Amino acid sequence: MSARFGSLPSARRVVLTAALAVAAVGCGGAPHEVLVSAAASLRPAIEEIGGAYRASGGDAVLVNTASSSSLARQIVAGAPVDLFISADERQMDAVEAAGRVAAGTRVVLLSNQLAVVAPADAPARLDSLDGLVEADVRRIGIGEPTAVPAGVYARELLTAKGLWERLQPKMVPGGSVETVLAAAGSGNVDVAFVYLTDAKRSRRVRTLLVVGVDEGPRIVYPAAVLVGGRNEAGARRFLEYLTRQGRAVFSRHGFGTP
Amino acid sequence: MSMSLSVRLQLTLRQGEFTLTVDEAFEARVLALYGPSGAGKTSLLEAIAGWREPQAGKIAVGGRLLYASARGINVPVARRGVGYVPQDGLLFPHLTVRGNVAYGLPTTGARPDAVDRVSAILDLGELVERPVSTLSGGERQRVALARALVASPAILLLDEPLGGVDAARRQRILPYVSRVRDELNVPMIYVTHQAHEARAVADQVLMLDEGRVVNRGSVDLLPS
Amino acid sequence: MTAELLQVTGFTLGVALVATLGVLGPGVLCAWILARREFPGKTLLETAVLLPLVMPPVATGLLLLWAFGARGPFGGLGVIFTWRAVVLAMAVMGLPLLVRTARPAFEQVPRRYELMAASLGASPRRVFWTVTLPLAGRGVVAGALLAFSRALGEFGATIMIAGSIPGRTLTLPVAIFTAAETGQDGRAAALLGISIALAFSAAWISNRLVRD
Repeated sequence: MSARFGSLPSARRVVLTAALAVAAVGCGGAPHEVLVSAAASLRPAIEEIGGAYRASGGDAVLVNTASSSSLARQIVAGAPVDLFISADERQMDAVEAAGRVAAGTRVVLLSNQLAVVAPADAPARLDSLDGLVEADVRRIGIGEPTAVPAGVYARELLTAKGLWERLQPKMVPGGSVETVLAAAGSGNVDVAFVYLTDAKRSRRVRTLLVVGVDEGPRIVYPAAVLVGGRNEAGARRFLEYLTRQGRAVFSRHGFGTP
Repeated sequence: MSMSLSVRLQLTLRQGEFTLTVDEAFEARVLALYGPSGAGKTSLLEAIAGWREPQAGKIAVGGRLLYASARGINVPVARRGVGYVPQDGLLFPHLTVRGNVAYGLPTTGARPDAVDRVSAILDLGELVERPVSTLSGGERQRVALARALVASPAILLLDEPLGGVDAARRQRILPYVSRVRDELNVPMIYVTHQAHEARAVADQVLMLDEGRVVNRGSVDLLPS
Repeated sequence: MTAELLQVTGFTLGVALVATLGVLGPGVLCAWILARREFPGKTLLETAVLLPLVMPPVATGLLLLWAFGARGPFGGLGVIFTWRAVVLAMAVMGLPLLVRTARPAFEQVPRRYELMAASLGASPRRVFWTVTLPLAGRGVVAGALLAFSRALGEFGATIMIAGSIPGRTLTLPVAIFTAAETGQDGRAAALLGISIALAFSAAWISNRLVRD
């Protein structure tokens, strides 16, 4: 845009600059900030990308995290959020149904995969999911299969493979992925189902097996620009940045970038 | 110079099983309210002070109506001008002696030396800066008396002021009451179940028993 | 990281103080009314004040979100996702504690003291400020301290109406949770240490007050 701006007659340049300045001030709120509501697991990655974005001259990125359902509730109640990244499609659907999504901006930003982990110092190996029925696997950590998304996905996967019934007696449900990860890290369970991204960030567990993208359930993180925030334009710019320059950072954290 | 006050009491006051019925008018400098415990003396004082509301009746002090159930009159406690020294003194525990005594000082029209004058009459002297918890029974009563007087009441009610004091000390406190009567000219209603006390300070007596007035008149009526 | 820790701690202490001072007036008034007055609807008031104490904080948060959100009756105030929302959450959660502690303190002030003050000519207002409140003082202060401690640890309602925005609305308890949630153990441990130190101090001071 700067190349075109420079070629305008100087009078129009002054007028345009003045108009932009007035528009920026007239917006009220925070013209140089973008408020992002994102699933909790995304905070480290988004804060990192936001820092780089800011350093390269972009808006300041404010990150608000909570469970995706709480975030959706806040948005539907009118919280002044500019960009929403959910860990689950249902929450994004709810926000869309409430009319807060700017038309045509919803995209699948990231994907994730399930992984089976074990304590870092355990000598275990796992060639396939069938190996879980072996006797030396006594306790399997899993997010609560009715409530925790990672647990729900794991159950979906094992049911599809016909293993759920047989493995159920070994299941040790945890209230959150963090709890499950901690159980694995401390050796309280022999193996555990977590997201690939969780496996990558914890030094106390070792990844035994990664469930391929085609094998397992579709785990996606939809993102959308919202209307009714304070900086819709800024949200569009940042989402663009996330999908381009952000990819490398997301990959490093273990997310898939479609 | 005598300063007697006319008082009209016509009331019924019920408390549980006990009923107090009074229909009297009298004029006195100091009226003794005499009778055994449980006769209703404290209840009567509390009704005059406004701490308790009778079922029905009329209370007038110095020609001023404080309570008249038939006319819906019930003057708030703060505006009755009735000073009250209850049996337990009821000093404010969070204030010093000085704080207590000066509490009732009127915001307008008070004599500038009112606190000092009253303190002198009651010999409060070195007690003045002490915390209330360090006082003896007799000292407490004198402070309570001083406190009530500083508020310049139209009438002063004293409920067995010597009740919490041992026999030996009683003799030393009685003169203070006389001083209040003579030097400050404050009309009083003085409750006691001791005849000699009543004779010493009062000129008129109202004798109460089981919620009813059984005799009235000059203090000479009392047993010696 | 130290700068961030200081910011979160300072912010949390600051808003907790504002919230506690804010509920002091209404809370003391409420406690006094409940202690000294009878009126139709008194039970309703008692229950309403108690509600945030017995409801899950998240539920209270949802109620506040509805009330102060863009479509709610107080939507125009611009509370959601600002420091004001943090103060609101802390105040709402702290008020019941203040009232519950201060009310018995008022009830225990013998009415005879108040009557005596009135007999000495004090107006009802003067009686309250010079006799009732000083005699109930310790209970009121204990209640305020309790409300303050609760404010420092407030989580469920805060995260709902204020969010977890670092530098804006992020409080100590929320920061601990988000750090733990994303595996930042070092940061979580540091925040936890500060939180424990604060809670310990508040409880210690409160106990000393009660004893003296």
